[in-house]
Amino acid sequence: MFTKLNDIDRLFGTMNLLQKSLDNIYRDHGKSSGYRWEFEQTAPRINLYENGDNFEIRAEVPGLKKDDLNVKIQGNYLEITGERGSDTPEGYKIHKTERGVGSFSRSLTLPADVDSTRVEATLKDGVLYLTLPKHEAAKPKKISIS
Amino acid sequence: MDKAQEIAKQDEKNIEKTREIYEATPAVDIYENDDEILLHADMPGVVKKDIAVDIDNGTLSISGVRKFETEKAATYEEFSDVEYVRSFSVPQTIDVEKVEAELKNGVLRLHLPKSEAAKPRQIEIKTA
Repeated sequence: MFTKLNDIDRLFGTMNLLQKSLDNIYRDHGKSSGYRWEFEQTAPRINLYENGDNFEIRAEVPGLKKDDLNVKIQGNYLEITGERGSDTPEGYKIHKTERGVGSFSRSLTLPADVDSTRVEATLKDGVLYLTLPKHEAAKPKKISIS
Repeated sequence: MDKAQEIAKQDEKNIEKTREIYEATPAVDIYENDDEILLHADMPGVVKKDIAVDIDNGTLSISGVRKFETEKAATYEEFSDVEYVRSFSVPQTIDVEKVEAELKNGVLRLHLPKSEAAKPRQIEIKTA
């Protein structure tokens, strides 16, 4: 069907155009011009990377402070919960609130057990980084050929 | 230009190209009081030097590029490098000189103060 990547690219280009047209219609009706054509999600998006001895997790948590987040690990089960408070200032009229508020929870099963005592978590620029060292048994081992 | 032409034009300029960075629309909150308009935009992972805020001829455009360091093999990926872009129409009454922007925890906060002339004024009624 699509012989070249270019065809797919072109297809998406056309879809973007359609989206822009729809946006214009919405704008004409006084709605948000940047209407987000995607599922509204309250839970953060998560990336999982595997890097030899470690798993690395990145999660988008814009505006959250470290006290707002809870990370729980048990074996190979990871749970990230948090609460996103509203930062609506006092005495202001609200025009638009697209940034979701409220509590969320995301859990995932990691491909192997991790050593929960050595997990490191950092929060930087609204992204949560977790480094999860694999459990000894799950670490890759080099086999020497005799 | 009608839609068919527009699509055809898109088609023409779509020559083979390398993958560009994805564009995304950041979620924003907009508040207003008598003194200023406040805009909060979610841009997780964007650092200060990669953010651009422009106000030109009544259009405010914000753009922020997120670049993660050396990509590892991803087992599971829901987000990646992205360029957050969004434009807004701002009233001419905004004092462009005094616009302030701060970035904290992946949230861009813009303060757009209204110029003195545009602030609502209470008119005192004098008794004769």
